[in-house]
This record gives sequence, C-alpha cells and structure tokens, in this order.
Amino acid sequence: MADVWVAGAGMTRIGRRTERLQDLMAEAAHAALLTAGIERPDAVVVATMNPEEFLGDGNFASNVATHMGFAEVPAMRVETATSSGAAAFYAGFAQVAAGLHRTVLVVGGEKMTHLSTPRVSELIGRSIDPYERSYGATMPALAGLITRALLGRHGVTEREIAQVSVKNHANATRNPYAHFPTAVTVEDVMASRMVADPLRLLHCCPISDGAAAVVLTAQRARVRVAGVGQGTEALAVRHRASLTSFRATQAAARAAFAMAGFTPARVDVAEIHDAFAPFELISLEDIGLVPPGKAGAATLDGDTALDGRLPVNPSGGLKARGHPLAGTGLAQIVECVWQLTGGAAGRQLDAQVALAHSIGGLATNNWVTLLEAA
Amino acid sequence: MVVAPPMPYCPHHPVVMSPITLPGVGEIVSFTTLHSPPEGFRSPLHIALVELDEGARFVCHGAQTEGLKIGSRVAVEAIDNVYYFSHLGAMDRARLFWRRAGRSGERVNAIARSLAKRVWKGKQHAEQ
Repeated sequence: MADVWVAGAGMTRIGRRTERLQDLMAEAAHAALLTAGIERPDAVVVATMNPEEFLGDGNFASNVATHMGFAEVPAMRVETATSSGAAAFYAGFAQVAAGLHRTVLVVGGEKMTHLSTPRVSELIGRSIDPYERSYGATMPALAGLITRALLGRHGVTEREIAQVSVKNHANATRNPYAHFPTAVTVEDVMASRMVADPLRLLHCCPISDGAAAVVLTAQRARVRVAGVGQGTEALAVRHRASLTSFRATQAAARAAFAMAGFTPARVDVAEIHDAFAPFELISLEDIGLVPPGKAGAATLDGDTALDGRLPVNPSGGLKARGHPLAGTGLAQIVECVWQLTGGAAGRQLDAQVALAHSIGGLATNNWVTLLEAA
Repeated sequence: MVVAPPMPYCPHHPVVMSPITLPGVGEIVSFTTLHSPPEGFRSPLHIALVELDEGARFVCHGAQTEGLKIGSRVAVEAIDNVYYFSHLGAMDRARLFWRRAGRSGERVNAIARSLAKRVWKGKQHAEQ
C-alpha cells in the first residue's frame, strides 16, 4: 500500500448559510485545491447524508462535480449517515493507496437550515432503527438514555458533562469558521432547557450548514495519512450490550492504530464527535486516549482544554464549530491538518499526530483517522 | 441472543431466529423523558429501555418516570402492539400484577431467541 498525503485542506464558515450546498462545496473544494496547488484532480469523492430530502436533489456526485467544473472527472458519492465525510475520506484514501488515482478531491457538506427544526430532526432521525423510531425515539432521546446510563456509572457527574460544552464553546471563540463562537458557563449549560432528561439543550450540537474538503495525493506533502479505521455496530440500541461505550468507535480505533503502527499515547490533538456532550467523554475512553472511567475528571481538570495535556476539539467540536452532517468528518480532518501545519491561527497547537473521530447514526458506523506531520 | 420484536436473523450473526414466549418482567436499563417529542406523540413522552429477565431488551413507553431508577424492577405489557412498562415498586403492586397476569395469561409474546446462543451453550430448549 502506497503512502497517502494530504496536500490541501479548505472549508466554509459553518452556520446558517443562504448559499446553495453546491456553492458551499465548491467554495471548500476550491480552497483545498488552491492550497494543494492542483487545478484538476483525477477523481472526486462527494459526501452528503441526504440531499434527496434536504434539497430535493439526487445523483449528487455528478451534480456537484458538474457545478464545480469537473463534469469529466470521475465522481462518486459515499454515505454512512453523519460520518459520511470520514467515509468519503476513506474512499479517497483507498483510491490513492491502491494506485488507482494520483490525486483525489474529497468534499463533503450539508445544507439544512432552510427547513424547520422538527423537519430536520425527523430527517436525521431516519438513521435510527425503524422500530425504535416507532416509539418516538429521536437522536436526542437515545442520547438521553445513554446520558442517564453514563450518569448512573460511578464517577461521571453532570458538571463533568457540562464542562465538555463549556470547553468546546471556549475553543470556538478562537475559530473564525465556527457556528457559535460564543462562550458559555457551566451554570448556563446546567440551566438550559431539558431536551431528553437528563440531556439539556446546551449539551446538543446545533443544526448547521457548511462544507469542507481535502486533496489527497500520492506525492509527498506536509501531512501523511497514518491510519484510517472503520467500526460498526447493530442499528438498534436495544441490540447492544452496552450503552456507555460504543463498539463502533472501539473497533475503528483499533483498526486505525493497527494501520498506523503506534498507540494512542502518540496523539497530540483530537477532534471528537461531540454531537451530544457526553459522547466526547465516552469516545475519549473508547479510543483509548483516556483510561476507562477517567474522561470526566480529565475534562474537569482541564487536561482536554487548549492548554491541557491532550487538547480535544480545538475547533469547537460539533457543539460550537457546528455539525453540517456529511461536512463534519471532513471539517474535523481540515482542523487536524491546520493544527499539524500551522494553519490554526488563534488556537494553534504544537502537534505531530492528530486524530479525528466521526460517529455515523447512533454510533452504528464510526471512523477514526490518524494524521501525522511529515 | 434474545431480541424483541422478532427478527428473521440475529443482528450479530447470519443465523435464523425462532420465536419463544417469556414472562414480561425485567429491569430498567435506562430511561428518558422527551419534552419535544416527534409528531404523533404527546409531550412529555416517557421512554425506557427495559431488559427482561430472560435477556431481551425492549424500548417501551410508560405513564411516568417518577421514582424510577436504573435497575428498577418493572413489568412490561403489550397494549395494541405497543409495549408499556410499569414500575413494580411495592410488593403489593408486584403481587397484584402477578395475580392479574396469571389470570389473563398475559405474557410478552413475539420474542425470538437466536439459535447461535443455543448452539454456543450446547443446550436444547423446548419451543412453543
């Protein structure tokens, strides 16, 4: 397998955007191609979770490739629910690693804010098991069950969970691309509206528009793809052995670190899928970045803050940078690339190895990506 | 593996499942209250994940979650094909339930047990 390098990275500001998704994706793609110094890639991989329902557009790989001026470049779409961006990155990585293409543009994004919140929630909720959905289970409802189980486990407190949101909002104040670059306090979080008891509004990520892109090449560049791993789990939450850890994350991390040939101790910075604040705590332990049962205390002690031992979600995470579904996995990777190459002005860390973790659906199709500065 | 409702295949292995009948009693794995439930549901919507003593996990509705804890003993009943949990806090309530359940023969049907587990355990189970 040939080495694969990230030659360029770009993204749009995340938030309520009035542009079409095709325009947002073109903006991110052209920024990535510009930094890579590449005019035309050999192939395009597109990630969108549900343009059919959100936009009424199908055949989206051809749609967006044509819109960008790449009508004659081979293009395809990849979808694994909310982790589609990470899955598209994997597809592009595989094409270059296998020697099928020299340069691949991977671009992902979503446009949702033109629809009502209940409609968006319903569409996102379609990635849940149909039987559980028939009982009114939404993403926040299932996250509420998980949060309750987590609080029941010795050691995790509501304050520790709230601190995840506080930290990620603080980081977003330094990120010009963030949806919510505003600080919140532990008191704000713990007094916010109850969504799915004990999960509150400020534990939950917003509905965001935006896009992100990277250019992968077979030619040596400043960032090497050290490892990519996928992990899966039963669609239904009731078919799982545990609520307080995600098998899909554990399997993805094992595969990624096995490919990279190093351990979590090498990771200097991590972008974690905090669609709900408690997921950051669960994921840190599932990946092995923090010992079992210690993620809450580590967060409260500032270990995962920007100036901590292992900064987590310097971008602001899904909570505050925002969560444009299929754009998110790539926005995480863009942040990792910027952290490794000095492109994260205002929140720049000294990092050699960065990790991105993306959750698809209710943790049924998860990805861990490891990047290393060359 | 025991799953509910019935599925043609075990989610974790490509083996065929067969139906069995189990008592509708178990404990709370977790629960939540939705304050803005999706269309077609009344707020607040109480949802629990219940594990029957025989192992199947259910998503259930309930009338309330007051006094409920993880590990609380509950009864699960199907009404119009929708499963509901009710808290078995006191001995009297449990006895009442069992008297009623015994008389009407109310049991939770439509539960399937995977052949994989039986093979794994090397046991023979009578089927109903």
